[in-house]
Amino acid sequence: VESRAPLDTDVAIETPEHIVFRYRLAGPARRLLAYLLDLLICYGAFGAVAALLFLGAAGAAMTTRAAEDAMGAGTGLLLLLLFAVQWLYFAVLEGWRGTTPGKAAFGLRVLTAAGRPVGFREAALRNVLRAADALPLAYSAGIVSIAGLVSMSSTRRFQRLGDLVAGTIVVVPSRGRASAPIVLSPPAEPGELAQLPDHVRLDADEREAIEMFLRRRSTLGRARETELASMIAPRLCARFGLAAPDPSRAIALLYDRAANAERVESPPSTEAAVSWR
Amino acid sequence: VEVTSAPSENAFSARRRSDWTDLDDILRATEARNGLVRLGAERIARLPPLYRNACADLAYARAARYSAELVDYLQGLVAGAHTVVYGRSAGDPRTGAPPLSGLGVRARGSSLRVALELFPRAVRRHKTAILVSLLLFFVPLLGSIAMSLKDPAFAARVAPEGLLRNLTEAYRQGFESGRGAGADAQMAGFYVDNNVGIALRCFATGLAFGLGSAFYLVENGLAMGAIFGYVAAHGAGANILTFVVGHGSLELGAIVLAGGAGLALGWSVVAPGSRTRVASLQATARSVVVIVLGAGVMLLMAAAIEGFWSASSVGAVVKRSVGAAMFVAVSVYLVLAGRGSVEAEAAERSWRAR
Repeated sequence: VESRAPLDTDVAIETPEHIVFRYRLAGPARRLLAYLLDLLICYGAFGAVAALLFLGAAGAAMTTRAAEDAMGAGTGLLLLLLFAVQWLYFAVLEGWRGTTPGKAAFGLRVLTAAGRPVGFREAALRNVLRAADALPLAYSAGIVSIAGLVSMSSTRRFQRLGDLVAGTIVVVPSRGRASAPIVLSPPAEPGELAQLPDHVRLDADEREAIEMFLRRRSTLGRARETELASMIAPRLCARFGLAAPDPSRAIALLYDRAANAERVESPPSTEAAVSWR
Repeated sequence: VEVTSAPSENAFSARRRSDWTDLDDILRATEARNGLVRLGAERIARLPPLYRNACADLAYARAARYSAELVDYLQGLVAGAHTVVYGRSAGDPRTGAPPLSGLGVRARGSSLRVALELFPRAVRRHKTAILVSLLLFFVPLLGSIAMSLKDPAFAARVAPEGLLRNLTEAYRQGFESGRGAGADAQMAGFYVDNNVGIALRCFATGLAFGLGSAFYLVENGLAMGAIFGYVAAHGAGANILTFVVGHGSLELGAIVLAGGAGLALGWSVVAPGSRTRVASLQATARSVVVIVLGAGVMLLMAAAIEGFWSASSVGAVVKRSVGAAMFVAVSVYLVLAGRGSVEAEAAERSWRAR
């Protein structure tokens, strides 16, 4: 049974407590979208400041010399802003918060390959090297990053050259809410209870399949629900001596007894099923 | 048949859930405040036990084969807490104690002094690459000056002739009248954007086996030499020297340093020694990143000097004296600063140990 093998778009992090957890890696498409959003923010801000400065210059009635000075200072300021947008924005924000507004909007975060937050030096390194990722188009803004794309597609953790050198990865951390437990509704009737055995032992694969089915079944049509349930219900009913007319209800009853009565679980049916998620 | 027994998933969740929501609340508060420090002592003290318990719960939930939903939830919780508990500082390199974030103890003594020492130390560590970079920049520069002095048509082949004429015209006028304050600011902004950009690109493209850095060094050397030689050939040599000397040691020095860092990066791919190529690249990058940041700061200073001092109406003798003093100061700083500094050495060790 291969269904429990982890996906290759995951990365495993081992904590000092020797607990292993997994992050989902961010793929090139999602990262490109985040990058484009960041560029939009940067150059949008740049454009807004430029427009304000030129409107101000056009509106003010000044002597030639003062106007010249103001225009010069304004242009100097714009050039500084351009520098900040090109070289500082990503490095400073990633070093400070581990993400940029564009990345945050797409749920991305930069971490070291060991799963720790990045510092300013890693952030600076991975972002200065955008110029190398843009190769061979030396002067492009990095949107068309051929070297970066080749690097991302040929490394296991979707690392562009900057990530590879700085030892960083980009992940999609997900912290979900605790899901509600699966409740048997309506509750078991006396007739059904009489039929159920005291202990229902399901192995891990069976439990997982049934849980997925029970959580999904409210989104299915009635016919499809019955059809899916019929694939497994007859075998289970035969095993536990249950005679229920509705296969979906039979599965729910068995699961409820297995999960919520005093729990006794059979060992896994195959060796492959031992692998952890 | 061996049978394992565990509490039901619902019983387990009901018993542990309050701790999980407490941890979740602390994590959300940390995210909102961007760090632990402003969280308050009581909640900070609760974080480690809650994190460790969540780790244990995750291990238990996996071993008991609870539902994938519960395991995923706990995994997200542990991951979120892990990035808060274990942070960016490297911990204690001597004891090997794991790093703790947010509450990391600041280096005692002046951390600014240590930062100032790390840069020249890194430069000296990579002196071979930086000497090669020096040659790759100054040999074309001097050659280009000599060629342009002999035959100004050579300069026109290297740099656009219109630009050369304009510059010659500008330098002929001298600096007696100075430049407007606005023009000063504009030029300073231009130098920041242009020069720092060139230096950073010069470093980054060194990743391509050092070829990118070498290209930028030679190209910039040739172009600057052509400008200098052409202007000098047209009789404004003294003026351009007066202009360049103030910021030259910082600006040209920074370009050489950034290029040298790029060459070191490229060489670490070509000759990785006993490491894999990627590991060699990462180790070298850690070592040279300080040089790049330092070169960036040097260029910011150079841009300020170039914008507000080099073109000012201050007398040529003063400018040249200051320029000579700057050259000596930069050289002495790079060659001597931070030798035998114990604090700087400890900082380097901890950065390498990460």
